[in-house]
Amino acid sequence: MNRLQHKTALVTGGRQGIGRAIVDRFVAEGARVMTCGRGPRPDDLAADILWQTADVSAKADVEQLTDSVVAEFGELAILVNNAGVQIEKTIVETTDQDWELLMGVNAKGVFMLCRDLIPVMAAGGSIINIGSISASTADPGLALYNASKAFVQGLTRSIAVDHGPAIRCNAISPGWIMTDMADAAFAVANDPAAAKQDALARHPAGRLGKPDDIASLAAWLASDEAGFATGQCYTLDGGMTAASPLKPGLF
Amino acid sequence: MSHILEGKTAFVTGGTGGIGSAICARFAREGAQVIAADLAPPAELPERVEFIAYDVTDENICRNTFHELAARWDKLDILVNAAGIEIEKTIEDTTLEEWNRIFAINVTGMFLTSKYALPLVRKSTAASIINFGSYDGYIADPGLAAYCASKGAVHALTRAMACDHGPEGIRVNAICPGYVDTPMLQSFFGKSGDIESLKQAVRDVHPTRTYGTPEDIANLVNWLASDEARYASGQLWVLDGGLSAQVQQMNL
Repeated sequence: MNRLQHKTALVTGGRQGIGRAIVDRFVAEGARVMTCGRGPRPDDLAADILWQTADVSAKADVEQLTDSVVAEFGELAILVNNAGVQIEKTIVETTDQDWELLMGVNAKGVFMLCRDLIPVMAAGGSIINIGSISASTADPGLALYNASKAFVQGLTRSIAVDHGPAIRCNAISPGWIMTDMADAAFAVANDPAAAKQDALARHPAGRLGKPDDIASLAAWLASDEAGFATGQCYTLDGGMTAASPLKPGLF
Repeated sequence: MSHILEGKTAFVTGGTGGIGSAICARFAREGAQVIAADLAPPAELPERVEFIAYDVTDENICRNTFHELAARWDKLDILVNAAGIEIEKTIEDTTLEEWNRIFAINVTGMFLTSKYALPLVRKSTAASIINFGSYDGYIADPGLAAYCASKGAVHALTRAMACDHGPEGIRVNAICPGYVDTPMLQSFFGKSGDIESLKQAVRDVHPTRTYGTPEDIANLVNWLASDEARYASGQLWVLDGGLSAQVQQMNL
């Protein structure tokens, strides 16, 4: 399909996982895409995708990213704030350095990218923030992560209200998606294999999510098909949060 | 068009209404075989859309319709429960008959249609049921008490159906439109005076500065019906031009 023909997109955190799936899908839909990450350009990134080494929590890096967007694209049609970090700790265990790292990327990074790029976005532009079901239902031992995703939801609504009708802004709240991040969460369980089986049983879809599932919704939200969609945080979790966490069958 | 519904079959209740007819037309353009089920036939039908006389409140009609459909189709991939009415009254002004009627159509009709469609839906390898909730199931519009309550019931039923039938490979979601330009919306404006100035005021309160069209809603129904949305289930998809992302706006 070519729903994103003639559109330009910046996707943060495109090295792997959900970010890479979104990058690949946008290219398949006809968009010109720039992505970024903290390390060097990944070897397996297709040649026509622009890469910039950048830490979204660093002001200078975000400014340089903005300059590159203007230089390469002129104006931007789609911004996907996907870069995120997760720290598996309660707040009592969380250090000030943890705060700087996590809130720097998940909160300040999203803020700075929106602040700097909204002025260079074309009318009809679409911002897609990657939130999490953790914004409204807490995952145990992920205190700051949960809170940072609530920030993303609040900011999403504010951008939609302040910068519509020129720009639409929505968030996608993934549930459990099979990425390295999810594996890290399972790894801290007492019995990781049993934890994974338990997680599967809690999904009406009968499986955990895939990065490509999220890319499907991102592509729709980025396209003109979603012209009336703004200010929403759409959950994509295989039905997990539609059901109560207490399942007698799992006792 | 991309033909993302090629080879799929679809059944749309309220299929000749403002939003329902836009959904049927879109499904047909995407390659699906479509039945528009409604009380009375429309003046004209798009290609690949067939009309069936149907009443969501009549259990015999619901049972017989899907019994007969099972003889013609070997599966039903997409069920859209779009039949619905609104009554512009507070609870004090609403008679028991009116209350029962709106629940019979908006809630019981969804239950009956889904119940009798399920055996055929189960035969699909990628089934999607899409119910019509409303942003009114979250926050109230004045003078729409029974309607608001019925949409709250739709939201809870949607989650329950997703929970129960997800393991069978059936996805269930609800779309919750905000203000959409339909005969129902015109009726809501109708009693409030100058429609033109009211329309502008309504547009201005939306972050998108417009209210929705049936096509806007069909865009999301189409995505949810397609295999693109294969991980989407149990959710209430508000599509309202950003209306409910903001708090009440004061007239300053």
